[in-house]
Formats: sequence, structure tokens, C-alpha cells
Amino acid sequence: MKKLADLTPNASGVISAINGDNRFVNRVTAIGLTPGSRVTVIKNDQNRPLLVYSRDTMIALNRTECKGIEVEEESSGGAR
Amino acid sequence: MSEKNETVIALLGQPNSGKSTLFNALTGLKQHVGNWPGKTVEKREGYFEHGGQKYKVVDLPGSYSLSASSDEEIITRDYIAGGLADVVCILADSSQLERSLYMLADYVGINVPCFLLLNMCDVAEEQGQKIAIAALEEKLAIPAVLFSAPEAKNYGAFYGALARAVSEKKRLDASALDKKYSEIAAYGKIKALLPADLMPGFSPVWLAAKAVEGDGPVCAKIRAALAAAGEEETRQAFEAAMASVSGTTAEHRGVLLTGARKFAWIDDLLRDTVTKPAQEHALSKSDRLFTHRIWGKPAVIITVLLGLIASFIPALPFMALGMGLGALNAPVRELLTGAGCPLLLTSLISDVFIRSLGFIVQMLGFVFGVTLVFGLLEEIGIMARISYVFDNTMSKLGLQGKSVMPFLVSFGCTMGGAAGTRVIDNWGQKVLTIALAWAVPCGATWAVVPMLATVWFGAGAPLVIAAILAIMILHMWLTSKIFGRLLVKPADRQGMIMELPPYHKPKWAALFRYVLGRTKDTFFRVLRVVLLVAFLFWLLSFSASGRIEDSLLYIVGTAIEPFTKLFGLSWQTFMAFVASSIGKEGAIGVLSTIFSGSGAVNFGTVMGETANAANLNELLLASVGKPEALAFILAVTFNMPCIVALAATYQETHSAKWTAIIAAYYTVGALILACIAYHIGLLLW
Repeated sequence: MKKLADLTPNASGVISAINGDNRFVNRVTAIGLTPGSRVTVIKNDQNRPLLVYSRDTMIALNRTECKGIEVEEESSGGAR
Repeated sequence: MSEKNETVIALLGQPNSGKSTLFNALTGLKQHVGNWPGKTVEKREGYFEHGGQKYKVVDLPGSYSLSASSDEEIITRDYIAGGLADVVCILADSSQLERSLYMLADYVGINVPCFLLLNMCDVAEEQGQKIAIAALEEKLAIPAVLFSAPEAKNYGAFYGALARAVSEKKRLDASALDKKYSEIAAYGKIKALLPADLMPGFSPVWLAAKAVEGDGPVCAKIRAALAAAGEEETRQAFEAAMASVSGTTAEHRGVLLTGARKFAWIDDLLRDTVTKPAQEHALSKSDRLFTHRIWGKPAVIITVLLGLIASFIPALPFMALGMGLGALNAPVRELLTGAGCPLLLTSLISDVFIRSLGFIVQMLGFVFGVTLVFGLLEEIGIMARISYVFDNTMSKLGLQGKSVMPFLVSFGCTMGGAAGTRVIDNWGQKVLTIALAWAVPCGATWAVVPMLATVWFGAGAPLVIAAILAIMILHMWLTSKIFGRLLVKPADRQGMIMELPPYHKPKWAALFRYVLGRTKDTFFRVLRVVLLVAFLFWLLSFSASGRIEDSLLYIVGTAIEPFTKLFGLSWQTFMAFVASSIGKEGAIGVLSTIFSGSGAVNFGTVMGETANAANLNELLLASVGKPEALAFILAVTFNMPCIVALAATYQETHSAKWTAIIAAYYTVGALILACIAYHIGLLLW
């Protein structure tokens, strides 16, 4: 289990847990990130939001916010 | 149906679903912007006619779902449930259906007739997607239509779906999602014990799902109803069910459980109705630039600046028109005097009305340009990239990344900056952005201040400018600390969680209609405030004899001089400071008139329209010492920007209270700065 923000660019994973207050979880759910959904990290630069790709959508996530998102990393080359 | 025999349509969609574009395209100039009762959320309504039927369109506030986690969402829910809309039009982005149908999934179980609009189908088509709209319609049991705003032929399909939705009054089929929700044990238990008619408009499916999610208002209603019924057993059964979904893990957290079911429902829906080639998710060339760690910020700033320069082109006719109006002043004055019109009335018409009008029209060019450029950047999708790039910097001030734009514009014109805050979707952050933008010295300040600084400090003038920029940053930081806590709730301070939408082609016709409407709206609202303030100042400065000593301003100014001396200002510089709240150029006009003894300070002087005395520099040097000069320069720079900016602030915030607070804060702040500068100056010189 890894934090989403610890993935390197181009790494993919399946979300295993989302922690945070209801407002945060609601917001993240509404943008398409739910346990079991697959995400690919596009960009992971310091001092910028994390850029991920999931459900056909490019999503920017604030670093502090997405501490609560945990993933099961897929071995590389696991693109669908 | 409302009392006026109109059919009411409510537009519901996530941000970037193209909701505003559709609203503008449908209603054009027939729009009304206000506030939702008791809330600080903007309410947009518009009207149109089709086939002899009148329609009223309500643009529901942008939100990602129908949970109760923000004012916007609560307003949206209450409005829909309130039965005021005949039909709800739910928008989704065709190019990202998997995600953007979430709003539809969250709507399942609401008993208000609706139809689905799959927007931006042109983008989906370019991606090679095929959407079987008839099959989708059958699965949902409501009308559905493929749509892309710029194509006229699409409106036929839209009106067709609208007419069907209104006449057939079909509700969304909830059975498939109900079946999925039923996999959650607590859902079935809660649904079974729900009191009948708990909240009109919402079916047990919706209510039970929201209860599972731990939705505040719904749970409170259920608890109250159960307590009133006095059935202790049912109440305990409810609490037990709730306890089983209030955990933190994916299996025991209600929001996650229903969220997974909603997306599973969407996947089922799309399985046989949408075919698409595998999607490319690499960054496009422009996104590689905009999201670049080093080049991102410069790229964004250059894009915005180029946009602003381009926006001067449509602004130029306004400026010419405004100056033309100003030039009318002298002939009108002569005409009125010639016709024997009393001096009071002539002065009122020419000094207050014509001058204010000319002033506003000139500035209106900025509003037009900024609204156009910002609207364009938002439609194309660049605004989302700007948010991304500046998220980290701006969140330190409690703001969104987009707030950087109004700040940049404010170096040109604060009114344009205030108009630009329209793109900020949270009211508190919008007001805070305006409050901070006032600290950014505007174009007029740059025209006045370097000249004044050179008079007293010669080669030292650049140091004064550097100090001003340093104070600006400090001022913004301090202001964000002072107002931040009041304006932006900790819950709204959460960082960016948002999509970067694919780039879209702009819809020029809808955009222009929107910009024209907005400019017209700004003009009338701003005119009222400006006329009022200009009139008050005119009363203060009017002198029947033409001599300055007979104006109220002089009497008050000299009376309070012992007080203003605390800030280092004599009655003359204080009067010029007061004038600078009307318009920065006025400060020099007032000084020139007073020190050269060349007549009355009238409203024209304040508007900076009187020719300055030829020997103004020597006069100023002889009459005002360096410490006072420094105090004066800082006071003028960080004073309220001008009356038009004040009026625009009121127009954007819809709050007289906050407009007054910000104005008072800046007036007091400028004087405190002056006081500090004066005393430092006394030590130096």
C-alpha cells in the first residue's frame, strides 16, 4: 500500500483507501476517484498539485489533500 | 409552472459541463443576476421564447454532486425539491461520460421530471466515440440528446427533448441503481423504515442513499421524524444501520459504498451504448508547457498578458467614447449658462453627471475586454491550467489559483480586476480576491505616483517605487490574514481537486452575447453608485462664490487639520488624499489648484481635468516637506483605487456591507501607512 502522491510519473495503481472528512470524500468521489478505480500519475512535481488520469479525465489534486488517498501500485507496463 | 405561465427549466451540471455556455446561448441578453435568498451564492436567471411558449431558465450553482457539503449544493437540492422547476436539464460532458454522468447518478431517485443533455458531442466525435443515444434513452426512461453548442442544428434537437420532457413529465428510472444500492445492507434497512413523505420531491431510494452517505440534512430529518413518531425500536434500528456505515474503511464508509455503486451503474449504462477507441492520456504539447515546473508560470503570465493586450482593441472605442463624452462638458456648460440656468444646476449636470458618465464609459472598455478574455480562457480550458500552476502560491493567501488573474489585471485597472473575479466560483474567495486586488497599484497610480516621487526625491524616486511594491506584497499578505478567516471558511480552504478539461473551441456568438450582457449590467449598476458618491463629493466641494474657502471641504479640512497632522498631512494634502479616493489623477489636480490659488476645487479638478499650474513642481517643493510628501504618496497609492472600482466591487460581491468594509479598511490603512512613513521620514530628513 502506497500513498497516491508517492507514485512516480507514469506509474499506475488501484485506489485502495480514501481517508478524510465527508466533504473531502464526497468531492473526490464526485470527480471519479473511488476505491477500486484505476489511476495513472501524469505529473508529480514538488510545489504543484498532483496530476493524475482516471475515468477518461485529467485531474489535478492538491498535495496536502490527497494524502488520504492510498493505492495498490501496479507493476510497470500494466497499461490497459 | 410559474405564475406568469412560463415553463421553468433548471440547468444542473458539474463545472466544465458547458452549463454557462448553454445558459448564455439560450437566454442571450435576457438575463438577471442576483443572489440566492439569504446566501452569498450568485443566482442567474434568464428567459427565452420558443414556439410561442415562454421559458424561464435557472442556472443552478456549479457543484460536483448533490451532497450537502457546500452552500451551492444545498441551494441546488432545495431548489429542485422545492418544485419550482417544471423540468431539470442535466448536463454531462460527452467526451468524459464515465466521470461526468456522476451528477445524473446522484440525481437518481429525485421525483422531478428531467432530461439528459450530452454536451460537447463534437469533441467526443473527434475522439472516435460512438454514442447510441436511443439505447441510452431507453435505459434511462427520460429524453436524452446529443448536443454541441456552436451548431445551430443542435438547438432543434434540444428544443425537441425539452418539449418531450415537459409534456411527458418522465422521471429517471431508479430501479437499476436501487438494485445496486441494495447490496449495501444498511441501505435496505434504512429504506424500509423511512417515514412516508419525509421530504417532498425525494424518493425513498434517494433519501436512503443519502442517509447511508451520512448526509447531514437528510439524517437530521429522519431522526426528527422518528423521534416525533415515538417508535423507539425503529429509531434504534436506524442508528444501528447508520453505525454500520460510519466507519473509515472502504467497506464501512457510506459515501464510498454508494459512490462505488453509482459508478458501477454508470458503467452498466455505458457498456452497450458507447463505443470508443482506447484513450490517449499523454499530455498535449501545450499542456506540457503549461504544467512545466519552471516554464509553467511564465507561460501562463505571458498568455494572460497577451490576452489583455488583445483586449485593449475592443476597449479602445469605449475610451474614445468616454473622452468624447468628457469633451461635451464645456459646450454643455456654456449652453446651460447661456440659457440662464442656475449655477448650482449647471455645475451638477456638468460636474457630476457628464463627467461621471465619461469616466465610467472609459473604464467600461476594461470590463468588456477583461470579461471577453477571461471568458475565452475559461471556455478554451486554459483557466483550469492557470489554477493548476498557481494553486500552491495562491492557497497560501487562502485563494484559488485563478485569483492570480484579477491581480494581474489590477495593475492596469482595478475595475477590470474586480470584473475578472467572476471566474472564482466561491463567494468568500471572490471577495477576498477583490480586497487584495485593491492593494495592487493601478494604471492611474502609475501615472501619478512616479511623477510625484520625482518632484521630491529626484534620483531617489525608484527607491520609492520599490518600497511601494514591497508594501503591496506585505499589504496583500496582511489583508489576507485579516479578512481571510472571516471570508473563507476552513472547509472552503481545501486545495484544488478539479479536472483539467480537454481543450474546446470557443463558442464566439454565445460568448459575445454574454460579454455584452455583462458589460451592460455593470454599466447600470456602477452608474448608480458612482453618481451617488460623485454627488456627495460635489456637495462637499461646491462653492457658490467660486472661492475655495467657501466650500464645505475647506471648512471640514481645516477644522480637522490637527487630527490629520498625526498622519503627517496638512489640510491641503489631506484634501488631495480625499480626492484620490474618487480617482487618483484628482490628487494632483487638487494640489495644483490649492497651491497656485487658481480658483475653486470643483469636481472637475478632482477628476483631473484641470490643467495643472505650470510651476507646479516648485510650488509643491516649496509648500510640502519630504516627510509629508512620502506620507502623501503612500496614502494616495494605497487608498481606495477610485469610485468606479468601488462600484464594481459592489457589483461583483452583491454586498454593500463588504464593499463598505473594504473601502473603510483601505482608507484607514492608507492613513496608518502615511503616519508610519511620516515618522520614519522625520527621522531621516
